[in-house]
Amino acid sequence: MSFQDKLLDSFIAFEQVIDIDNPIHTYRKNALNRFESEGFPTKKDELWKYTSLKSIIQKDYSLSVKSNPNVGLKDIKKYSINDIDSFKIVFVDGVFNPFLSNTTHDGMDVCVLSAAISKNKYKKTINKYFNKIVPDDQSLASLNTSYTQEGAYIHIPKSVLPEDPIQILHFSSGKNKPLWLQPRNVIIVEENARVEIIERHQSLRTHHGVTNSLTEIYAEKNSFIDYYKIQNDLETSNLIDNTFIDQKRDSNVRVHTFSFGGKLTRNNLNFYHKGENIQSTLKGLTILEGDQHVDHNTLVNHAQPNCESHQDYKGIFSERSVGVFNGKILVDQIAQKTNAFQQNNNILIDNKAKVNSKPQLEIFADDVKCSHGCTIGQLDKEALFYLKSRGIPEKEAIALLTYGFANSILKSVNIPSLKKRINSLISKKLGVDLGFDL
Amino acid sequence: MAYTEEELKKQLETKEYEYGFYTDIDSETFPVGLSEEIVIAISKKKNEPKWMTDWRLDAFKIWKGMKKPSWSNLKYNEPDYQAISYYSAPKKKPNLKSLDEVDPELLKTFNKLGISIDEQKRLSGVAMDVVVDSVSVATSFKDTLEEKGIIFCSISDAIKNHPKLVRKYIGTVIPKRDNYFAALNSAVFSDGSFCYIPKGVKCPMELSTYFRINQAGTGQFERTLLIADESSYVSYLEGCTAPSRDENQLHAAVVELIALDDAEIKYSTVQNWFPGDKDGNGGVFNFVTKRGICHDRSKISWTQVETGSAVTWKYPSCVLKGNDSIGEFYSIAVTNNFQQADTGTKMIHIGKNTKSTIISKGVSAGKSQNSYRGLVKISPMAENARNFSQCDSLLMGNECGAHTFPYIEAQNKSAQIEHEASTSKIGEDQIFYCNQRGIDTEKAIALIVNGFSKEVLNKLPMEFAVEAQKLLEISLEGSVG
Amino acid sequence: MLEIENLHCKIDGKTILKGINLKIKKGEIHAIMGPNGSGKSTLANVISGHEDYEVTKGSIYFDNKEINELGVDERAHEGIFMSFQYPVEIPGVTVTNFIKTAINETRKSQGLDDMSSSEMLKKIREKANLLDMDSNFLSRSLNEGFSGGEKKRNEIFQMAMMEPKLAVLDETDSGLDIDALKIVANGVVKCSNDDNSVLVITHYQRLLDYIVPDKVHVIMDGKVVKSGNKDLAKKIEVVGYDWLKN
Repeated sequence: MSFQDKLLDSFIAFEQVIDIDNPIHTYRKNALNRFESEGFPTKKDELWKYTSLKSIIQKDYSLSVKSNPNVGLKDIKKYSINDIDSFKIVFVDGVFNPFLSNTTHDGMDVCVLSAAISKNKYKKTINKYFNKIVPDDQSLASLNTSYTQEGAYIHIPKSVLPEDPIQILHFSSGKNKPLWLQPRNVIIVEENARVEIIERHQSLRTHHGVTNSLTEIYAEKNSFIDYYKIQNDLETSNLIDNTFIDQKRDSNVRVHTFSFGGKLTRNNLNFYHKGENIQSTLKGLTILEGDQHVDHNTLVNHAQPNCESHQDYKGIFSERSVGVFNGKILVDQIAQKTNAFQQNNNILIDNKAKVNSKPQLEIFADDVKCSHGCTIGQLDKEALFYLKSRGIPEKEAIALLTYGFANSILKSVNIPSLKKRINSLISKKLGVDLGFDL
Repeated sequence: MAYTEEELKKQLETKEYEYGFYTDIDSETFPVGLSEEIVIAISKKKNEPKWMTDWRLDAFKIWKGMKKPSWSNLKYNEPDYQAISYYSAPKKKPNLKSLDEVDPELLKTFNKLGISIDEQKRLSGVAMDVVVDSVSVATSFKDTLEEKGIIFCSISDAIKNHPKLVRKYIGTVIPKRDNYFAALNSAVFSDGSFCYIPKGVKCPMELSTYFRINQAGTGQFERTLLIADESSYVSYLEGCTAPSRDENQLHAAVVELIALDDAEIKYSTVQNWFPGDKDGNGGVFNFVTKRGICHDRSKISWTQVETGSAVTWKYPSCVLKGNDSIGEFYSIAVTNNFQQADTGTKMIHIGKNTKSTIISKGVSAGKSQNSYRGLVKISPMAENARNFSQCDSLLMGNECGAHTFPYIEAQNKSAQIEHEASTSKIGEDQIFYCNQRGIDTEKAIALIVNGFSKEVLNKLPMEFAVEAQKLLEISLEGSVG
Repeated sequence: MLEIENLHCKIDGKTILKGINLKIKKGEIHAIMGPNGSGKSTLANVISGHEDYEVTKGSIYFDNKEINELGVDERAHEGIFMSFQYPVEIPGVTVTNFIKTAINETRKSQGLDDMSSSEMLKKIREKANLLDMDSNFLSRSLNEGFSGGEKKRNEIFQMAMMEPKLAVLDETDSGLDIDALKIVANGVVKCSNDDNSVLVITHYQRLLDYIVPDKVHVIMDGKVVKSGNKDLAKKIEVVGYDWLKN
């Protein structure tokens, strides 16, 4: 039986365990039907031209764990930013771990989705938001919806401004048979509210699992969301990250994606504008080696006038790694006075590394300023020579130039401890310690 | 320096498609439909050798098994391939030595087009191989070219007289199974041009071919094969205009260029097929496959001005196989009313130290859609490859679209690729400034569009540049609210 | 030459000019001064016929003909030239091609044939010399990458080429150093004669040291509040505008 058939066949059993009378049931069932008719995307699909899931879906995976894995604080400590006393929602093998988490219902909701979709008190909010921004034509999103059960639920009410970032941490223990996990995160930020969120998927042991995660983000009027995705998983784990963002007028959403680890990582990051004067920022820094493969697939749909979007993706690729950037700016006819920019810069370190870039503009309005640029090249040889002539060894010189190249992505990280963490990840990745941070 | 000509200005005043007329020439037309019998009949009619007939039949077999491409950003009614007549030739025997022998109706057509052959011959020294529908009816300057050993004739004549050359190169750059329309063309191509420039020869004049679709319900399947032998040079001009018709007409040409070591080919096109009327009725479907292969240190440069056709699907490409070879693509595509253009290029870097440049300018007006679609591919063995691409779009009015789909694939670390694209509109302040200097709005737009397109217009041979400017202005008429 | 009667106008619903009266005779040079936001540039734009400005009351007469209904290009054909405060860039169109188009379009409106290339060339050389412009400049794209000084010089060059009956110079001195200012002013003076008129709009008196006006008008809050001779400009330079309030 193929894994796709297994997903289809297991659905009834999956739903029987949980509450079938729940309104979410209809979403699950319809989504499963869509997934059944579309199946997994193939390279013939224009959006998947440069990334193949074939080898992944040929294998078999468990869809849930039988017993709760024994994971303690010491196992996960180094993956969370603990010098801030922040709220944390921690999952291990797809199961919420209350011992490791720090949730709240005090002034805002930072809890689990399973609670939100089953308790009466959240019914109104869930009805208003759940699955409202997720398009029907993406089969992996449909697959996630069909198995919606657990994930993070964050609801920041009007004008609430939490001081510290909230962390969403998904761990795989690696103690079970390879898992196919499908966490679902729902984040709602009401009018004039603001939040910083850090999301991470991490395997604790070598593990050939796949995570097909979906995050829905709703940014209401004049809200501000700063979202950081840290992708530094072990080199055997795969991640498909689907993020859909609904922005109302005057809102500002920024998403930073740091892709340093994992075997195959696919990011589908989609912004939809539902009002005027919106700002969207998409930044990505990808540093890969070995046989790693990262595919950034972005969409910014400018559907209203006077909005702005900035995309800046940088990549550094060594050994046999592959980077893909497939970014699309879509400007609807009514979206006059749109300012949309897209930049993708890549450096190839080794000859076996590959970059495929497809920065696209689709524009249906005339009074707009849209541009994109893409470069692929090497580190500046002249600059390298200059640094070496000042006595800096080659390795350090390369690292220095790489830091410089990456700087435009890092400098907009607003959480100091996170910035520090990313800095150390970069220097580890480059095998040097420059003794300073960006 | 000359910017505008008063006579061009006059052209601007006619609002309807000015080349939209129909010449009544006796034609011999095959029954409609496509089958193995028709393919054989076409080949027979042209007295082709067996290898050519077999080649066509093989292509037909391939075509039958293929699916039409559906990936481009175009919406149109698929032509009924069984409702097209695949061969039409003027009845009068085409072996003419001088213009006097040409059908007077035809000469009238040329005069209406303003491309009087006499004039062209005397003034610009352009050798004309005029193709009306499918068969060559007049050639000139043959003697001059023969002296240098240059072969410039119809592809039918080349199949008869230079079978070795044709057989060696035809289908080598664009294989029969390359795509749906290339396969169709390979099976049924009616005529076209053949050109061979011998080793070390610099072709002393611009070679040029004018195409016309001139027979109701007749498909046009041109085939061009151009071979520049080692260290030779040629500049080739191709221009198209077509009479207006209600039903859609299909045009599926194939152009193959071969630049051997140290050779250079400049291929310029001004394309002005009937774009359909202002309500989107009629117009030509232009599905063209153009590709050139560059051997060591050779260069192929494509320049195109696309103003016509209801639907254009066209990606003149370069396979940079040889070391130190160069590919260039300069394009202006103007769409108005209901036109759709999906055009661009592919630069395939295979050899070492290969370079490519892409400059694409798109102007969209009315309810039209204008897409750039391009591929830059750096193969693993292409050391030190360089590419620079720039795609700019200008939008006029709020019902049109401008799209950019660049595919960039790098598999060698020494590659250096730069791609830039921008979208803008004509500023009201620019129009006001021009108005204040006494330039009316329509003229101001023509001026600004010409400025926008300048980098490409500059690449055209002089006599084409003027015609190209004229076309830009004509095709944007009525686009100003 | 130019006569403005009780001119009121508004832009985006806001009234800017509130009854301007002005009369410029053939051969005269007038200057308009005024603080920021008084309506100086608006007046220049309204004379040129900018469509964003709505004339709500009053008339503009040019050569004794009311021109309120004429379009921008038609006014230019009549002989009105405006030197822009911020000249617009037109990429890819050279200075030469632009001026050639402007002149020939104007000639066409007057029923004249195109100016011959040799005559055009001669004139271009002569006027370029007048403004100390090198020939390089003529083949560059219009205003693209020009410095502030080059842009202004280019405006006066176009004025010299088009030989208008009335030249409206909107803040032509802004952004110019003293040497460039002298060249530009000198160009204007050389072009002015008994048959044409100049309206200089400026913030500062210094330009008027070189282009000496016959009359100076001060505009405040959309009205001419004071008129006088060149000494009025000198006084304003020293004491400012406050004494003219109310």
